[in-house]
Amino acid sequence: MSLLSVAGVTKRFGGVTANRDISFEVAPGELVGIIGPNGSGKSTLFEIISGFYRADTGLVRLDGSPLTGLSPDRVCRLGVARTFQKLRPFAGLTVVDNVMVGALTRTHDVRHARARARELLDRVGLGEKADAHARTLSTGQRKRLELARALATEPRVLLLDEVTGGVDQRSIPGLVQLVRDLHRGGLTLLVIEHNMRVITAVAQRIVALYLGEKIADGAPDVVTRDPRVVDAYLGQAYTQ
Amino acid sequence: MRGPWPAVAFFAAAALAPLVVRDAFLLDGLVLILLWGTTGAAWNLAGGYAGQVSLGHAAFFGLGAYAAAILGTRWGISPWIGLLVGAALATAFGFILGFLSNRLRGPYFGLATIALSQVLLIVASRWRAFTSGSEGIPVPFRPGFWTLGIVDKRVWVYVILVLAAVLYVVQLYLERSRRGYQLAAVREDEDAALSLGVPARRLKVAAIAVSAALTAVCGTLWTQYVGFVDPLYVFSVDLSVRFCLFAILGGIGTPLGPFVGAALITILETSLRARFGGIGAGLVGIYLIIYGTALIVTMRVAPQGLLPWVGALLRRRPDPRPTG
Repeated sequence: MSLLSVAGVTKRFGGVTANRDISFEVAPGELVGIIGPNGSGKSTLFEIISGFYRADTGLVRLDGSPLTGLSPDRVCRLGVARTFQKLRPFAGLTVVDNVMVGALTRTHDVRHARARARELLDRVGLGEKADAHARTLSTGQRKRLELARALATEPRVLLLDEVTGGVDQRSIPGLVQLVRDLHRGGLTLLVIEHNMRVITAVAQRIVALYLGEKIADGAPDVVTRDPRVVDAYLGQAYTQ
Repeated sequence: MRGPWPAVAFFAAAALAPLVVRDAFLLDGLVLILLWGTTGAAWNLAGGYAGQVSLGHAAFFGLGAYAAAILGTRWGISPWIGLLVGAALATAFGFILGFLSNRLRGPYFGLATIALSQVLLIVASRWRAFTSGSEGIPVPFRPGFWTLGIVDKRVWVYVILVLAAVLYVVQLYLERSRRGYQLAAVREDEDAALSLGVPARRLKVAAIAVSAALTAVCGTLWTQYVGFVDPLYVFSVDLSVRFCLFAILGGIGTPLGPFVGAALITILETSLRARFGGIGAGLVGIYLIIYGTALIVTMRVAPQGLLPWVGALLRRRPDPRPTG
């Protein structure tokens, strides 16, 4: 039984088909990576799953119940949280207040939400920055903040859009470890990632998109050797 | 300027002033400061806390003013009932505005609010049979609390003070409650707020509606206090701009900010007009120039508003007392 299911999703923008008949499943506790060159429809797919875009046809289900057509806030409350590729911290609020907004989706008690937020900040390694303004954080720290904020909504599935994108090389291992820990803790994740070393290291399965279509779906070492993926994206077979 | 002490001092001073001050001019100033501060606070609920910067709040102020004036003069209905009717009307208009402009962000929301106030201005000035048109409506003075025919300005101070305190508490709630945090998130980044499960649209509409209702209440009380309502004033963009100015000058999104802003603007304007108003023909408008310059300088020095600015100054100085 899959936890998240995407079935025949198609999305057009004018004449451009950003997603064409995309289907795949994510099992509970699985970490699935999505790869593909720029413009292949990865982000559009995320926007559809999280409720920001409405699919023209097709259905997204969480644990059997449809998410398609629901507003983003309802999708979140049902248990699908996301981060943004272009980071969107609440710049004027403190770091802990940022995370509290997420926590307050699950609790009505402000004090409880604050305690929960501090806990999560410790977990992502931002505990010391809790009272700083979000605008003072570095890109790597902002990624951690987005992660903590999304986790605070207690998701059943977490969608991560480019965890390591735009982050300096030294910060990457820490972020990767964080994602791994979350996965090990039982969280189901769907991860868009450009860094092949990262995605092959963490994902149990990879879905490859090209020009809006799914061209491969399987174990990382199989997908990275798939001739269509190699042609479309990698240029040459990717081996670790 | 954290903590309740500045607010306690402000409201205590306002409450005690009528006990010592007998001068009608000063009491009149106090009533207006409190009333404008309260209106600024009502604006602040939407503009400051929810980030829905309205430039047409005069629409709601005018609805409150006209509801009471028309009900009172045509059917002799108490302004207290008029106050409720005005608030209900403003709530309805606030909901409509909120729903229609839900997808509008930034300056477009501001423009939509201006449009609403202009439409109401046209209706009020053209529908002569019902609103008396642009001549306005004098509110007859009928002595008594039920008819809000109050001569004693000290009583007015306390009437408005109660409303001011209510607005202050509502703002405090928005600063500390779950809904307050969620609204702050909507203000900072609506999409990010949505992605975290915040029902952004609903919260925005609610904030606008509550803000509209309370602004209408201020409009009713203002009309009853002044004894006159005319469309060109109560529905003017000038008045709308004033409401935001109170909040922005004092500190947008802070509970005491609008009151401080209203106090400064009212005092500055009144004293400048008194000092320079009667000056020779060539310099008639000079007080407006000084007034404008003072506003520009203030916003240049303290773009966050005066309260946060003073707060930052105080924090920068080391506190000699042990803390904790």
